[in-house]
Amino acid sequence: MKIFAITLLAGLSLCANSALAQQAAAPAGDIENGKKHYTTDGCYQCHGTLGNGAALTGPKLANTELPFDAFLMQLRHPANDMPPYEAKIISDKTVADIYAYMKSLPKSPDAKSLPLLTGMGVK
Amino acid sequence: MGKKTSDQAGLDRRGFLTGVAVAGGAGLSGPAQAQSNQTRMAQAQTAPAPAARPKAPLPTAAQTAAENETPAHVEALTTEKTGSDFMVDVCKTLNIDFLASCPGSTFRALQESFINYGQNKKPEWLTCLHEEVSVGMAHGYAKVAGKPMAAMLHGTVGTQHAAMGIYNAYCDRVPMILFTASAGPVEDRRPGVEWMHSVQDGAATVRDFIKWDDYPWSLQSFAESTVRGYALACAEPPGPILITADGKLQESELSKQEEAKLRIPKLTRGTQTVGDPAALKEAAKMLVAAENPVILVDRYARSQQGVDDLVRLAELLQAPVVDKQSRMNFPSQHYLYQNARGGVLVAQADCILSLEPVDLFGQLNRVRDQIERTWRSTSKPTAKVISLSTHDLLMKANYQDFQRYSAADLAITADAQATMPYLIEAVEREIGDRKSAFAARGQKMRDAQKAFAARAHADGALGWDSSPISGARMFAELWNQVKNEDWAFMSPNNYSGNWQHRLWPIEKHYQFIGNSGGSGVGYEPVAALGAALAHREVGGRLPIAIVGDGNFNMAPSVMWTAAHHKIPFLMIIQNNRAYHQEVMHIQRMANRHNRGIESGVIGTEITNPNIDYAGLARSYGAVGIGPISDPKELGEAIKKGVAAVKAGEPVLIDVIMQPRG
Repeated sequence: MKIFAITLLAGLSLCANSALAQQAAAPAGDIENGKKHYTTDGCYQCHGTLGNGAALTGPKLANTELPFDAFLMQLRHPANDMPPYEAKIISDKTVADIYAYMKSLPKSPDAKSLPLLTGMGVK
Repeated sequence: MGKKTSDQAGLDRRGFLTGVAVAGGAGLSGPAQAQSNQTRMAQAQTAPAPAARPKAPLPTAAQTAAENETPAHVEALTTEKTGSDFMVDVCKTLNIDFLASCPGSTFRALQESFINYGQNKKPEWLTCLHEEVSVGMAHGYAKVAGKPMAAMLHGTVGTQHAAMGIYNAYCDRVPMILFTASAGPVEDRRPGVEWMHSVQDGAATVRDFIKWDDYPWSLQSFAESTVRGYALACAEPPGPILITADGKLQESELSKQEEAKLRIPKLTRGTQTVGDPAALKEAAKMLVAAENPVILVDRYARSQQGVDDLVRLAELLQAPVVDKQSRMNFPSQHYLYQNARGGVLVAQADCILSLEPVDLFGQLNRVRDQIERTWRSTSKPTAKVISLSTHDLLMKANYQDFQRYSAADLAITADAQATMPYLIEAVEREIGDRKSAFAARGQKMRDAQKAFAARAHADGALGWDSSPISGARMFAELWNQVKNEDWAFMSPNNYSGNWQHRLWPIEKHYQFIGNSGGSGVGYEPVAALGAALAHREVGGRLPIAIVGDGNFNMAPSVMWTAAHHKIPFLMIIQNNRAYHQEVMHIQRMANRHNRGIESGVIGTEITNPNIDYAGLARSYGAVGIGPISDPKELGEAIKKGVAAVKAGEPVLIDVIMQPRG
């Protein structure tokens, strides 16, 4: 029952920095297919059903600012403890679909507009 | 007449046998008695005519047995006092408030003595529906009450049921007084079940993970061993102890003459081990000299005094505290509570003080979960490590809860809470003109702490309106309903996104009780039940447990025990419809093997059909609410639940939540 202390965000950031210089345009993805694979391929297990992320398992993916190359690299050669997803499991095309789905998700509300959230812990 | 007399003599012989059979049968059970009567009736209907003087039939097996039994007039059928009464006298000297148990015939005399002779007070007998509940209840209770309660376990099978809960308590270093029983000497055992529930060495099943045990063979020995066991259970590091109450000792008559010879020793609890002054002076020098000290704290505080003392030390040094959360050790909103930067602080530290580490190696190293497992140190090679711990005082060979060996530069084997005032004194003596440097360090911590809340709010906004409901949303809705109550969490936050510690002000020792110790699944509901009992005794508190659905399924009957004994609490089922930790393990293996993870939910998901947890709670006599999958409905559901808890009810709210908080 060991907890996966995945600190993926740091790894993703590193990937992003190195990838920015050679950033390529993301391939056009099929959002609906990406939504389907986000579930069937288990992304939601660690990153939440809406790509919202979870503190102990995986960072936010919705509206990711990572370039596609870095997103793909993280799947193929994960930093930290994320399981690897090789092309045999998820093709580049499917990854592009998932990426498109993540990019399509509505942005989270600004925390300042959520008094219930910002009031947590405050009497 | 002579012939008649002779015949009558023969009949008398039969009559004598019959009479013995009836008298002897008084001690038989109902079905056995009925069979005996039927046999006699059949013999009477088929008896030959007296005139024929046939050969006497051989006696039946029942008749032979009856002839050999003790006649009724010499058999003692009742008694006024038994050994089990004396055992209760012993327990009453220990000021044990509660004893939890699932019934078992091996301790039938003891149970009867507790509830009648002992008037079911101190301890009060609590009914549980599984031995794992009894033990887990004692686990949670001790963490809040600060003293042990007892659990009674049926011989062999009950101890086996209880084993995992005992292991959790042992790993978590929590005291409890366990009793089991055996049916007594072989010649006294009834055939069948009493043999199945008898054992030469009842403690063997659990000896690897209890602190001490005994099978006393006299009442005097029972008294001494039970008092000794209680003292040992409470001595740091604490743990479970087990006493086997022999069936013969329990059920045998205790004459006034024998009783007059018995003595119950007084309970003397030893003082706790304190670090030696020379070592504390050395530790103080190292801490005061450090530019970037960090305090790692794990299974440290057992009372508010421990929390307050650690705050004094941290403020004195203006040193950050990283809390591993096996206990409530440090106020979660204090500016020196720096869990959010724990990794960075350890990496930058030049001096690390580790208080009661469960896993010192794991605090200072990282092992990657890959095919080729690699590990690396997470601290500087030059960092000096001080451990202050009872870790080495209770260690056994077989179970590996002691973790990987890791040597500190200065290892002080002592109880950290008892030692803390002396360490503070030593630091005060060494501090000299370092206070201004410490103040600058403290300001950095204040600045960092301000950013923690902003980051938590940003994280909490993610998936705010999602269904399944996010952890942040659930905790925010919960806070909104209980913020003016004297709330207390009774569950760990491993799977809850750590929201309690990120944003709630956990300040009092009883507001958080840490984790299971042994990671045995099922701890959450049972420990919550015991903790809630301890909170009930104090009064005025609102006990809250966030329980995973997988955890709850190990012991749903806690709801019945809570309803039956009127133990109020609010239990929120964090329902992700899976053993989700295991989902991720299988996913990891499937990816590693390049087979895809579409089948990874086989054997880990708890769906098809979904379980009606609220209905289950109601069936046990508790209040059940839900399932709630719309976040907009959650606040009202919690409001209703809180009202019911305040009215004295145990409440379960089933909340359909994200896989992880």
